[in-house]
Amino acid sequence: MSLLFEQLLNGLTIGVVYVLIAAGLSVIFGVMDVINFSHGELFALGAYFAISLAAPFGGPGFWLALVVAPLLVGIIGAAIERFTIRPLYGRNPLYQILLTFGLVLVIADIIVLLWGRQQQQFSGPPSLAGSIQIFGFSYSLYNLFIITFGLALAGAIWYGLNNTRVGLVIRAGAQDREMVQNLGIEIDRYYTLVFGVGSAIAAAGGVVLGGYQSVSPAMGHSVIIPAFVIVVLGGLGSFRGAVAGGLLVGVIQTLTRSYVPLLEGLVVFLLMIAVLLVKPSGLFGDPEWQEAGGEHTTLSTGSGGILSKSQRLRVGATVVGALLVIPLGTNVLYSPYIVSITSDILIWALFALSLDLVLGYAGLVSLGHAMFYGLGAYTTMLTMIHLTPSVLVALVLAIIVAAIIAWVVGYLSIRVSGIYFAMITLAFAQVFYNLVYKFEWTGSSQGLYGATPMYGIAGIGVAVGDLSLSAGPISISSAEVFYYLLVVIAVCSFLLVRRIMVAPFGSVLKSIRESQKRSRFVGYNVTAHKRNAFVLSGGLAGLAGGLYAISNGFVSPDVLHWLRSGELVVMAVLGGIGTLYGPMLGAGVFIFFEDLLSTYIEQWRMVLGTIFILFVIYIPRGIVSIGPYLRDRGIIDITEQKFERSEIDDD
Amino acid sequence: MEGPYSGLGSNQREGYELGIQKINESDEFDFTIDATFENTKSEVSTARQKAQKLVQQDDKDYLSGCVSSAASLAINSFAQEQEILWVPGGGAIQITGSGCNEWSFRAETHSGQIARAFGPWIPKNIGTQGWIHYADYSYGKDINTSFTEQMQASDASVNIVGRSTSQLGATNFSSYISQIENSEAEFVVLGLAGGDLITFVKQAVDAGLKETVTITSPTMCMQAIRNALGEAANGTYGGVRYDPKIDTPANQDFVERYQEEYDGNPDAFARAGFDAIWMTAQGIQEADDTGPATVKDSLPGQEVSSVFGSNTYRECNNQATNPVWVGRNVPSDQGGSSSVELLSQKSGQEAVAPCSEVNCSL
Repeated sequence: MSLLFEQLLNGLTIGVVYVLIAAGLSVIFGVMDVINFSHGELFALGAYFAISLAAPFGGPGFWLALVVAPLLVGIIGAAIERFTIRPLYGRNPLYQILLTFGLVLVIADIIVLLWGRQQQQFSGPPSLAGSIQIFGFSYSLYNLFIITFGLALAGAIWYGLNNTRVGLVIRAGAQDREMVQNLGIEIDRYYTLVFGVGSAIAAAGGVVLGGYQSVSPAMGHSVIIPAFVIVVLGGLGSFRGAVAGGLLVGVIQTLTRSYVPLLEGLVVFLLMIAVLLVKPSGLFGDPEWQEAGGEHTTLSTGSGGILSKSQRLRVGATVVGALLVIPLGTNVLYSPYIVSITSDILIWALFALSLDLVLGYAGLVSLGHAMFYGLGAYTTMLTMIHLTPSVLVALVLAIIVAAIIAWVVGYLSIRVSGIYFAMITLAFAQVFYNLVYKFEWTGSSQGLYGATPMYGIAGIGVAVGDLSLSAGPISISSAEVFYYLLVVIAVCSFLLVRRIMVAPFGSVLKSIRESQKRSRFVGYNVTAHKRNAFVLSGGLAGLAGGLYAISNGFVSPDVLHWLRSGELVVMAVLGGIGTLYGPMLGAGVFIFFEDLLSTYIEQWRMVLGTIFILFVIYIPRGIVSIGPYLRDRGIIDITEQKFERSEIDDD
Repeated sequence: MEGPYSGLGSNQREGYELGIQKINESDEFDFTIDATFENTKSEVSTARQKAQKLVQQDDKDYLSGCVSSAASLAINSFAQEQEILWVPGGGAIQITGSGCNEWSFRAETHSGQIARAFGPWIPKNIGTQGWIHYADYSYGKDINTSFTEQMQASDASVNIVGRSTSQLGATNFSSYISQIENSEAEFVVLGLAGGDLITFVKQAVDAGLKETVTITSPTMCMQAIRNALGEAANGTYGGVRYDPKIDTPANQDFVERYQEEYDGNPDAFARAGFDAIWMTAQGIQEADDTGPATVKDSLPGQEVSSVFGSNTYRECNNQATNPVWVGRNVPSDQGGSSSVELLSQKSGQEAVAPCSEVNCSL
C-alpha cells in the first residue's frame, strides 16, 4: 500500500512539471491559436540558464536561478512572439506550427553551442537535500518541494487569470478576439505578454526538473510530445484542462511503468486518441475553440509559376532527362555517391508527394506521415526476410498494409479537423513508433537486417545487388539499376497523382480545401473524399518506405520518429504545397543542403532552421513561388508568359 | 557527434585524432593516414548514409566510429558489401557475435567482457540479493542476460529478487526506484548507458536508495558519468574498460599526447578510438599492403601493441582481447567528481568468452 502511495507521489512530481509546461502551451493556444513546438526548447533553456546561474553561487544559486532563469526566458519568449510569430497572425495555424518547428532547430543548436552536448547536472539547494518521513515511509524532500512549488505557481496563475483585469482581457481574448479589439483593447500587447509569461512558466518547470534529473540538449524534445498530449486531453486553450491533464498523465505514466510495463509509451497516446474521438474539445475544453484551425483560414498553396505550359513541359522533361544521365557521369565527372544521394532524394520526393496529396489538396495537416513510411519499410523488410525476397511482392504488400492502416486511421481521424487532426495523426504515429520497440520480430531497437532482395517473383529472378548491365563502353552498376527503377517509380507516381488530381476527384478535394461547408452543400461527401485521399497518400508513403528499406538493406525505429514527419512537412512547405512538384523539389533541396551543411558546419540545423523561418514568414508558398515573388516586386522582368493558376488547372 | 551519444562521440574522435597524429609522425609506418570525419547523429540511417559517402565519394578504404551499437551493426553489413575494413565503436556483443563478419574488427571492449569480469565479483563481494534494471533495447538486454549468467556462474548463490525495464531515453525513474527500495535487494545492476544512467543514479541518490542498496553498473566508472554525477557517484561500483594510470609505455605516450592536446585525462572512448587506429595501422604495416582485402586476412590473430600492452584481434570473431577491471567510485582528493579505485582485474584472455561460446562463424 505504501508503495502505491509512493508511486502516486512520484506521478504527481512529474505531473506538476507537466502542468507548468502545458499551462503556457495551452493558454498560448487559447489566446493566439499558436501551437508552439518550441515550447519544449524554452523549457530546456530554463534548465540551462539555471546551470549557469546556480553553479557560481553555490547553495543560494538555486533560488536565484528559480527567479532569474524564468525572467530571462520570458523576455526571450516575448521577443520570439514580437519578431517571428506576429507577422503570421491571420494565416492558417500550420504556418505557426512550422515557424515554431524552425525555432526548435535554431534554439536547440544555440543550446549546444553555448553549453555543449554533454549531459550536465546541478543540485537543488542543500536545505532540500535528503528525504523526510511521511506516513511511515521516507520520501525525497526535493520531490515534495517540486509538487508544492508547482501547485502554488499554478494556483497563482489561476488566480491571476480569474481575478485580475489582465486575466479578464486574456480570457475574453481567448473566447472572442474581435470583440475584445472592438472594445478598444490592443490585444497584440497582451499576446506578447501571454507568450512571455507562458515561456517563463515553462522555464520555471525546467529549473525545478533540472534539479531532479539531468540536463541535456534532448530534454526539450522529450517533453514536447507529452505536453501536447496533455493539452489535447485537457482541452486546447483550457488552463484547468492543462492542470488536470498534466497531473493525470504524470500519474498514469508512473503507474503503467510499475504495474503494466508492456503498455508503457502507448497508454497516454491511446488515451489521447480516445479523447479526441469522443470529445475532441478535450476534458475541459470549450467546444467553441474547436473552430480554431478549422477552415477559416486556408493554406497558401503554390500559385503556378512564371512559365507557360509548354515551358513547364520542357523544364519537366529536362529534369527527367538530367536524372537519367546522372549515372553516366560517375567515376568520370563525380563519385558514385552522387547516385546514392540522388536515390535518397528520389525516395524522399516520393514521400513528400504523398504528403502533398492530403496537405496541399485536402488541407489535412498530417503530423504522423512517418507512420505510413515506416509501415511500408517494416512490411517490405519482414516480407523479404520471412516470405519472399521478391521486391515486387514486398512493395505491393507495403502499399497494401500502409493503405489499410491509412484507411483505419483516416476513418477514425477525419471527423476532427485542423489542429486536432494534426494531433491525432501524431498520436497514432507515436503508438507505432513505441510498438516496434516492444517486439523481437520487429527487431526492437536494433531494427531488421539480412534480406537479399530480388527482382523477379516466385524464386525466379536476379538479386538486386547482382544485376548490373553493360553495353559497349557503357556499364551500369547494380546501384545504378536500382536508381533507374527509382526514377521510373517517382516519375510514374507523379504522373499518376497528377492525373488523379485533374480528374473530378482532385477538383472536389480542392473545393473541400477552399471551403468544406460549401462543398458539403453542393452535395459532395466531404469525409469520403478526404479519406480516399488519405488512403492514396498512405499507400504512396508506404511505397516510399518500402523503397527506402530495399535501398538501405535495413530498417530501424528512427524511420517512425515524429521528427521525420516534421521534416517532411518542412520539405513540402519549403518547396510549395498544392503543386505536387513543389514538395518533391523541397525534398531535394532539403536533403542536398542537409548533406552539404552537416559535413562542414556542426550547427547546420541552426542554418537550415533560420532559412526555413525566413521562408515561412516571407515566402510561404515555397520555392516554386520565388519566380512570381520576384516578378511581383519587379526584380525580374518576364513579359511573354501566360499566368495560370496552377499547373493542373490548365490541363 | 549528435544525438544521445554525442558527448561520447566527441571523446572517441579525440582518440582518433591522436592515433592518426601518432601514425603520421612515426617513422615505423610506410604510409600516412588521410582521415575525414562525418557526423552520424547517433542515427542508424544517417550512419549508413555517411558511410556510403565516405566510401563512394571520399574513396576511403577504412572506416571506424559509431558509439551506437545499432549503427555499428548496420555498418558491419555495409562494410562486407563494400569490402572495406571497419572498426566499430559500439559495445553490443552481437557486433562480434551473431552479426560478425570478416571485414569488421572491434578494438572496443564489449559488454560481455565486462560482465565476465564484473558479474561474478558482485555476489562474492556485495551481496546475494539483487535487482536488475535495464533499458529496453539491445545493450540493456545484453546486460540483463550476461550479468544474470555470470552472477549465477559464481560460487555464491545469487537470487534476483526483481527485474524492471525502462524505455531508452527515459527521464523519470522514480517508480522503479520505489520498487527497488521496497524490495529485499542488497544491490542493483543497472543496464543503462549514458544519460539514462546519470538520471537514474541522481534520482536514486535523491530518494535515499544508496543508503540501503548498492548501485552497480557496467559503465558506472566511466569518466563522463562521474563528471556528470559529481559527488552523487561516490560509493557506486562499475566495470572499468580503461584507466589512465595503466602502467604500459604505450599508455603513458597516449596519456601524454592527450594531456598536451586536450587537458585532463583520456577516457575509455578516447582509448578505443586511439587503439582502433593504432592496432589496425600495425596490421596494415605487417601486411605490407594498404588494401583492406589483404589486411583483413592477416590481421586476425596477429600480435599487435595497444594501450593495454600486447593485444590481438581474435581469429574466431575479430574481437580485441582487452583486460577489464572492477572499480569503485571514491571521493576525489580535489573534491568534485569521484575518482576510481581499482579493486580487481581480469586479463584480456580471462575476460573474453571462449571461442566455442561465440556465436560467430568467419
